[in-house]
Amino acid sequence: MSLVTIIENIAKIMGRYWYVFLVKGVGYTLLLSIIVLVCGAILGSIMAIGKGSKFAPLRWIITAVVEVVRGTPSLLQLYIGYFFVPKLLNIEGLSAQMQAFVCCAIALIINSAAYVSEIVRSGIEAVDKGQTEASRSLGLNSFTTMTKIILPQAIKNILPALGNEFIVVIKETSLASTFFVGDLMTAYLEVKGATYLSTECLIIVGAIYFVLTFTLSKIMGVAERKMKAHA
Amino acid sequence: MLNVNNIYKNFGDLKVLKGVSTEIKAGEVVSIIGASGSGKSTLLRCMNLLETPTFGEVWMEGKLLTPVDPYLHPEVIACSNTYKKLVAEGMSSGDAIVKIKAEDLLNEKFSSAEGKEYRAAMKKIYDENYIDINVARQKMGMVFQQFNLFNNLSVKENIMFAPVSIGLAKIRKAKRKNLLIKLGNLFKKEKKELIEITETKESIKAEAEAKAMELLRRIGLEEKADVYPSTLSGGQKQRIAIIRALAMNPEVMLFDEPTSALDPEMIGEVLDLMKELANEGMTMVIVTHEMGFAREVSDRVLFVDEGYIKEDRPPEELFKSPEDPRLRDFLSKVL
Ligand SMILES: Nc1ncnc2c1ncn2[C@@H]1O[C@H](COP(=O)(O)OP(=O)(O)OP(=O)(O)O)[C@@H](O)[C@H]1O
Ligand SMILES: [Mg+2]
Repeated sequence: MSLVTIIENIAKIMGRYWYVFLVKGVGYTLLLSIIVLVCGAILGSIMAIGKGSKFAPLRWIITAVVEVVRGTPSLLQLYIGYFFVPKLLNIEGLSAQMQAFVCCAIALIINSAAYVSEIVRSGIEAVDKGQTEASRSLGLNSFTTMTKIILPQAIKNILPALGNEFIVVIKETSLASTFFVGDLMTAYLEVKGATYLSTECLIIVGAIYFVLTFTLSKIMGVAERKMKAHA
Repeated sequence: MLNVNNIYKNFGDLKVLKGVSTEIKAGEVVSIIGASGSGKSTLLRCMNLLETPTFGEVWMEGKLLTPVDPYLHPEVIACSNTYKKLVAEGMSSGDAIVKIKAEDLLNEKFSSAEGKEYRAAMKKIYDENYIDINVARQKMGMVFQQFNLFNNLSVKENIMFAPVSIGLAKIRKAKRKNLLIKLGNLFKKEKKELIEITETKESIKAEAEAKAMELLRRIGLEEKADVYPSTLSGGQKQRIAIIRALAMNPEVMLFDEPTSALDPEMIGEVLDLMKELANEGMTMVIVTHEMGFAREVSDRVLFVDEGYIKEDRPPEELFKSPEDPRLRDFLSKVL
């Protein structure tokens, strides 16, 4: 198999299946990633704040979730989501692919929330304790102190790490193809099945993933530099 | 004005304060001196509850800031099961109270083990004297060694932050109450009157801004109103930190080594501002290593050592004829 044939084959595949890769595959991958990232960021922030709570059992539960998520493979978590979410939520009305999508999204959200909560937590902890003390000593309650003084400063530590988490999430979503949710890796499985040209399909999918994550990390680099210039 | 009543503070096994009591009177300037690590900051921070005392109570203007410490209230001890048991065993009432205090016999101060009557006595004292710590802190300014200006706010915003946030919170609270009253009025014949809200968001901000500018003018830094703290010198930061606390019109100011993080040439400007405040009659508690300053401005100097206040006297006496040998030793090192 020569390089020339591979390139020719890639051109042919893209001519015929561009829609499957670039629209469906990229679309589902980005959709899943964005849902996971947004929900994961919200849930993760709540978990981070909960971890500072005075109520010890809440702290223990959150710590346990974080440790379990970090200590088990993501693929295993997806399997668990795939088998347990339908038992907890009524999603029978959806198509098989949408059911898989929902299950994977929920599993990935919990996974991402665990990592985000650590990012947020350490971002908050990196803010000098004197800032909290100054605000509390003026008679402000902990909520106002958190929202008006601490979080605005913590966000500068949090955003760059959150950007990295976005890239990780994009790559993790590929695991969801195990359940044929329609993402880029699912597109790969589909087209490979139709063409039997697995090398070419892998190169195509790899290149798309790379372009996605590389563009993102460049955009984030620019954003980070802008933010530093303002600080 | 401020009463520290038999404060103990432990950090794990480390006993930093072992029963400290003092009263700060209105208009008084009190300095706290002592070796590094002796617990000066801890004592000061217990006054506004940035540290929670392990035992003991802090009172401000007749209001209780800390939880009730049963050991300071014999009538509470007398309600406890432990006391009743000792008395039933034939001990006299006075002896029982002394024994319980000395041997820390009350088990778990708030648990049900000491009985209903005991808990009711505790609750009664608390309900009659308790003040929300956030409200109390609005009357106590604090100045830190590390300035602690809010990095995300401009100088003017730093000064306006507390008055505006607290003013707005008051309006919100009044509006919520009015809403409840209105709802209640729908069902009642006798209409309750609404709370009159004279202030608006704008008026609160305008007022806070005028006050901030006035304070900045006082220290000659009005041109720094819109810059961020990172661009200021240490002396400027600390003076702004002081007026930020003044913006709340506090009744007492707590200073924790306000000049220790400053370059020598900036110490003077901060001490001058503090002297001004002292001369205006501000009540002040100052933890300091500046002995000359303590001597000049203080009405009283407290020497903290080994968890106790070892000396508590006017500065002329204390510096001229220190009695405690450890104070003599300390002064010979720092003077
Ligand atoms: N949050 C804390 N946790 C544990 N130990 C603490 C804490 N704060 C203070 N300590 C310890 O308590 C002791 C007294 O500390 P404190 O800061 O009150 O001393 P200080 O007299 O203010 O000293 P310095 O002059 O160095 O400021 C020290 O041994 C210190 O290490
Ligand atoms: Mg100190």
